[in-house]
Amino acid sequence: MGTLLKRHRWIAPVALLAPGVLWLLVFYLYPALQMFQSSFWSGTLETGFTFSWDNYTNYTKALTSYAPMYARSIMYAGAATVLTFLIAYPLAYTIAFRGGRFKNLLLFLVVAPFFTSFLLRTISWTILLSDDSPILRVIHMFPGVPPEFRLLATPIAVISGITYAFLPFMTLPVYVAVEKIDFRLVEAARDLYAGPWRPGGAIVGFIVGGGLATVLGVAFEWDFLITGLVGGVTGAAIGWFFISESFVRVTFPLSVPGVFAGSLLTFIPAIGDYVNAELLGNPDTTMIGNVIQNKFLTQNDYPAASALSFMLMAGVLVVVAVYARILGTEELSASAGRM
Amino acid sequence: MTRDDQTTPMLISRRRVLAGGALAGVAAFLAACGGTKPLVTPAPTAVPPTSGPTSGPSASAAATATAAPAATPSAEVNWANWTYYIDVDDADPNKHPTLDKFTAKYGTKVNYSEVVNDNEEFFGTVQPALQGGADTGWDVITMTDWMAAKLIRLGWVEQLTLANRPNFTANLGDTYKGVNWDPTGDHHAPWQSGMTGLGFDPAKTGELDSLEAFFTADPRWTGKVDLLSEMRDAIGLTMLKLGLDPANPTRDACDKAVAELKKARDAKIVRAFKGNAYAEDLKAGNVVLAMAWSGDMVQVLTDKPGMKFVVAKEGGMLWTDNNLIPKGAAHKGTAELLIDFYYQPEIAAEVEAYVNYICPVKGAADVLMATNPDVANNPLIFPPADILAKLHIFGGLSEADETYFNQQFATVTGKG
Amino acid sequence: MAAATTHPTPGEARSAGTRPRGGARGVLGRMADKYLLIVYSALAVIYLLLPVFVIILFSFNNPPGRSNFLWSGFTLKYWLNPLGVAGLGDAVLLSLEIALISTIISTILGTLVAIALERYRFRGRAGVNALVFLPMATPEIIMGASLLTLFVAIGAAPFFPLNFATILIAHVMFNISYVVVTVRARLAGFPRHLEEAAADLYANEWETFRRVTFPLILPGVVAGALLAFSLSIDDFVITNFSAGKTQTFPMFIYAKAKIGIPVQVNVIGTSIFLIAVGAVLVTTLASRRSNKR
Repeated sequence: MGTLLKRHRWIAPVALLAPGVLWLLVFYLYPALQMFQSSFWSGTLETGFTFSWDNYTNYTKALTSYAPMYARSIMYAGAATVLTFLIAYPLAYTIAFRGGRFKNLLLFLVVAPFFTSFLLRTISWTILLSDDSPILRVIHMFPGVPPEFRLLATPIAVISGITYAFLPFMTLPVYVAVEKIDFRLVEAARDLYAGPWRPGGAIVGFIVGGGLATVLGVAFEWDFLITGLVGGVTGAAIGWFFISESFVRVTFPLSVPGVFAGSLLTFIPAIGDYVNAELLGNPDTTMIGNVIQNKFLTQNDYPAASALSFMLMAGVLVVVAVYARILGTEELSASAGRM
Repeated sequence: MTRDDQTTPMLISRRRVLAGGALAGVAAFLAACGGTKPLVTPAPTAVPPTSGPTSGPSASAAATATAAPAATPSAEVNWANWTYYIDVDDADPNKHPTLDKFTAKYGTKVNYSEVVNDNEEFFGTVQPALQGGADTGWDVITMTDWMAAKLIRLGWVEQLTLANRPNFTANLGDTYKGVNWDPTGDHHAPWQSGMTGLGFDPAKTGELDSLEAFFTADPRWTGKVDLLSEMRDAIGLTMLKLGLDPANPTRDACDKAVAELKKARDAKIVRAFKGNAYAEDLKAGNVVLAMAWSGDMVQVLTDKPGMKFVVAKEGGMLWTDNNLIPKGAAHKGTAELLIDFYYQPEIAAEVEAYVNYICPVKGAADVLMATNPDVANNPLIFPPADILAKLHIFGGLSEADETYFNQQFATVTGKG
Repeated sequence: MAAATTHPTPGEARSAGTRPRGGARGVLGRMADKYLLIVYSALAVIYLLLPVFVIILFSFNNPPGRSNFLWSGFTLKYWLNPLGVAGLGDAVLLSLEIALISTIISTILGTLVAIALERYRFRGRAGVNALVFLPMATPEIIMGASLLTLFVAIGAAPFFPLNFATILIAHVMFNISYVVVTVRARLAGFPRHLEEAAADLYANEWETFRRVTFPLILPGVVAGALLAFSLSIDDFVITNFSAGKTQTFPMFIYAKAKIGIPVQVNVIGTSIFLIAVGAVLVTTLASRRSNKR
């Protein structure tokens, strides 16, 4: 068998790919292509739909009419991805390096909440964050909080909802990548670099903190320059004091495949999400997923719904391609192998 | 109902509520519209499971007695309905006594599934089969009137055979007859009705009786108002506020209503557009005022006494869920027998004792008057004639108009 | 925020005496070193579990009506009668079956695809990559509806009428991608030389896989399976399109949510959580004991 495989190098990958790829071809790609065809339809349920390439206008219409929703989806999904990273990375890191014998149990505790119903979890959050809840009462005790301040039915609630919903999608891949890091490398690096990564950490912290605060500021109609600046300074301070050089030079590069996978697993489904905006948002927080949902189910405008979906999917593929090019998983694995 | 509803939750006996039951159908409604006299009929338990329907001294008796099935009942029949929409045995939640009676009478097993949670969502799941001319797998589906209208318009609903629906012919409430979306009147059979009005917390908002509240920026409720995401209810109530007639929904009226709704939204009066979830917002205090459905509000009042449901002085909406037989149903004849079975007043009354909406069956009210007088006297469950006179049914829409209305409404809810 | 530092180590005990020069970092850095990361992680875990606490708490609620939304007193009666709602037991059982089987199938298929993508260069690799990412990017409603159209078009068993098999097909379909991406995160950057050495030793790809590659990627496979399970057991939209007359646990909950989710749903949700965590705890303790021996 070994020699056979060596002579015919193509057999192994084909055999490995065949079942999974076939499944996706038959049950995903074929139906999806039919949907693609329907994005060039015109007509209604009653009159019937007719296909014509001239109906590419479905796409131009989708782009011109729903650009704000696309933009909002990118913004919310991006913010949620950064937030999941900020929550999940330290968590995965702690579990991997400090979890000891209880590593598996701790990891499981992180995922187990997601075995219960999404709807139950969301209802729990609405109970916890409702306008009269203890949490909100405490917030309202702070000076300067306007009396009409609330969390539910705001962009903050939508972004937090998405963040919570996709947290395991970041935590698990990051964990499996961090967990494999050989700690001797980190110790060696520590001897070499020792101290904190002062200018670099501050800059990265400023960008991350500032960017996130700006998104929230824009979404929540605060003065986004001020919120962005506050977030940036906070981030810079954290980066200045807490990000060490050995982390930046060794640990993080080794865990990048996990971060890469986690970001994709979070960002891609998040950008098409509609449930959080539906349950936790208001009319000004609707995402492209809500529009697609409405076009498909309420208006039975299948061509428009398909066109909107395919624009979304094409955009996601571009993001994935660019992301892969910039981060270059292959090169990373090669460099990690050298270390 | 506006004055007396503080007593509502008290009237619901503990046992009924614990059994998950709120309340019963509406006698006054039928008395007002259908002209049946409050005569006493035997309790529901008196219906012999194996013989024909009980004859009662009501106006419907003549018709019910003729119920000889014209179809040979099949071994099974499949019914897709909404949740909490049929009677449940107090002792065994898996048992639906009226369905058991149907089985006992015809030997047919009813596969009763509570799989409908949204008209549009359900339509999405049966549309490919109906379009392809295939059996959807369902013999009876329960759909709100506008969705029923759409299905009938698309030619995807079977006609009810005359011979299989004697009770339906005799006992359908008169208000339900002559809808413009089912000209022959034999493609749909009303199952339950409900009202749309104002749900609010009087402790926070004070007494309200006008739809103006939804469109007035008042510090007591600005930002604490939920509107319904159901287009016909939101647009319909707005039309009533503007003095327009929801029974005649023109594009011009739609534009005016949409502009009015946008104003309310831009003035930050509106917190969100919601389906049934507004009930939770009301209970949690997230909103103090909402466009509300009467059936939900029975539940809200049980959970949080002090809340109120009012049909506004400008008017309210009346909507109905209907039983339909989808095109190509495998057990059409049996489905007809099943639909007709529930038009016997005794059976309908049994359902109403569990479901808290308005019943379309003449004579069911009489049965309930005798068995549940406390329920019968509840103003929220038995809206008086002056309230019923204020209710409007949203007019039928052509496909093009329906698309237009939905598109315009989507721009208000932020989805278009 | 990101208190990601390298200083906390599992080898803290062994390197305690020989700590690297840390003078430059000062007191703040050392404090952060010791406590900040732990505190931060503990807060993250609390955040994750907060809604679960509410779900558990409300499984003991005694609401006057159908809706389980406001706290109205403690009772054990729903725990004593956890399946006392029509259809609940069947729905839970169905969801568990679907989740287990679809997790197994999709984990196997996904792991194989991940190995092929990470270990081999072949024509059409970019295409397979795209095929893996696309399902994650497709709005659920479009995916569900297009799959339903396919089932109806086939119009014959086992695809139509819709049944257990069609739900399973759909779940495996949307799970594969998540497994592939998770397993790849583990495979990427793995030292090839281990496998090459093994290949020299065993001279057989299967043996190499069994003895070297698989143990190395196992954490990734487990993580992928966990994701798949959590996706499958909680999917509503796609399942709704492929379920026909069968009703899964999420479908049951969505239907009930119109009026009020029965308290029993909280009991079941709590039980699934506790059983899962309990099982892992027992395994952990058991392996700990056997290690000691």
